[in-house]
Amino acid sequence: MQCLRAPLSDLSALEGQRACAEWQQPGQEQSDYHPYDADYCMQSLCPVETAFRALHGCNGGGENENHGNVHGSNDCFSNAWPDIVSSMHCPVVGAAASVEETSVNASSSSSSRKRKSENNRRSKENSGGSDGKDDSNCKRIKEETGVGAATPEAKRPNKRKEESADASKENDKAPKSDYIHVRARRGQATDSHSLAERVRRERISQRMKYLQDLVPGCSKITGKAGMLDEIINYVQSLQRQVEFLSMKLAAVNPMMDINIDSLFGGREINPTCKSASIPMIGMSSELLDQSYLQFGSLQHDMFMGSSDLLLRPNVNPAAAVSDTSLGSCLNVNGSSVWNTNLQNVYGVEFQLGRGTALPFQSLQGNLLPNNLKMEM
Amino acid sequence: MQVPNSFKLALLKQMLLGFQLSAVSSNSMSFHERKNAIKLSADAAMVFARGSTRWTRGLVASLSKNRNNEDLLRGILGKKYERLSLPCCNSWKIPRSRKILKRCLGLCSRRKKATGTQHDVKSSSTLARRLVKKRIQVLKKLLPGGDSMEGFSLLDQTLDYAVSLKAQVDVMRRLLKISKASNLNK
Repeated sequence: MQCLRAPLSDLSALEGQRACAEWQQPGQEQSDYHPYDADYCMQSLCPVETAFRALHGCNGGGENENHGNVHGSNDCFSNAWPDIVSSMHCPVVGAAASVEETSVNASSSSSSRKRKSENNRRSKENSGGSDGKDDSNCKRIKEETGVGAATPEAKRPNKRKEESADASKENDKAPKSDYIHVRARRGQATDSHSLAERVRRERISQRMKYLQDLVPGCSKITGKAGMLDEIINYVQSLQRQVEFLSMKLAAVNPMMDINIDSLFGGREINPTCKSASIPMIGMSSELLDQSYLQFGSLQHDMFMGSSDLLLRPNVNPAAAVSDTSLGSCLNVNGSSVWNTNLQNVYGVEFQLGRGTALPFQSLQGNLLPNNLKMEM
Repeated sequence: MQVPNSFKLALLKQMLLGFQLSAVSSNSMSFHERKNAIKLSADAAMVFARGSTRWTRGLVASLSKNRNNEDLLRGILGKKYERLSLPCCNSWKIPRSRKILKRCLGLCSRRKKATGTQHDVKSSSTLARRLVKKRIQVLKKLLPGGDSMEGFSLLDQTLDYAVSLKAQVDVMRRLLKISKASNLNK
């Protein structure tokens, strides 16, 4: 994995290399998955992000290979968020190299993610923030990480000239401290308590925005109480779904016996499924951008060789077969039909994120789709 | 918000491992036992895949309260179990001062209500604040290990937890589909 660095600051480069190195060790147990590492930290680095975006003419969203949600506009930072989210969801830092801001974000984001606990002990007294390069219409967001503070420091000298006319408080510049640096806005109180309050409030509102993106159907809700309500409902529904699914799985009888070693042994992540030793569960490269697991098909001999497996190759080829996109790795012994059905199922599911009238019925009973409709 | 496939893969792998360890496929378990074992495997797998965060530690803590679960947890989490079952470092730190403050405030408000000095017009902001507070309380109960978190970290961990839950639901649903399909084809 090549990790290119934007030459913005030594510190961020170091962080980036470190983050890259951590991702480049497939041998070690990849136990600490940070599922939305980059997304996440990038939330905390929004100001950096927006600064760079504005700088580089909003080239965001360039690295869109691994996700479904691509948003077009990124004028204001609030629109830039989904871009950032989408472009950063896969913390393959190397992929984001061509866009400077994303690479910096990935680097500092994944590192800051790991150092979140350290960040919590920041002092609120000396707070100085980085300002988005965007115009004053966009809210100024405060830095969260100490690392991040280093990079906008580089930007600060430029801004300083523009804002020297502002009646703003100048905080101490501590280039490599763990302090958050905030700048008081024009006409607002400048004592440290209110600044700290503002920082806190803005961090919270950042998170609320992310949660708004996460929970379906929350874009119209503006109040904090309403949003919290929706979040609670969502988490509750997810928990209930887990219960229900575990019940259903318990009812499946008999439960499959899977030889895990043969499935996963030595092949944690499969970009392409080609050879005869296709593991049961792998991913094809072309489906990667839709980010779901692809259950591959098996050769007859392999099926015979190993213990009971999930799929059987003797699928009833009654349905129409047109699996062009799946063809590269999923076309063995007539199981392509089944895979096509899967694709339809997944495709619809992923497009909508809710259960609608799907070709589910071909695969299973009616209960699950109903549940989907109910819960989602 | 999409979760990387590696997360889901790790989740699935550990879940299947959990199924093996708890021998759900054998017919010796009752339905209820099997369901609990599956749920435990799924949760432990999610913790494994996610790594160490506050909610994962809280979840491990709540799961290990039950003695029966410990073996399975150890089996799935492996070396991580020790690391994850450390008490959350902030749990007792949750400012004792804050607890005292809360207690005092609770007493004060109760006293006020008792003496009947209610203001006729509650400002909208206080009302809003009260609503938000109520919901935050509910959220704390929902989130594993949420009692020790406040404000920003609560939201943060909620986000984290929700994404992981979604991935877990996703994986389980697919597993269910596969297994049903394979049963159909038998």
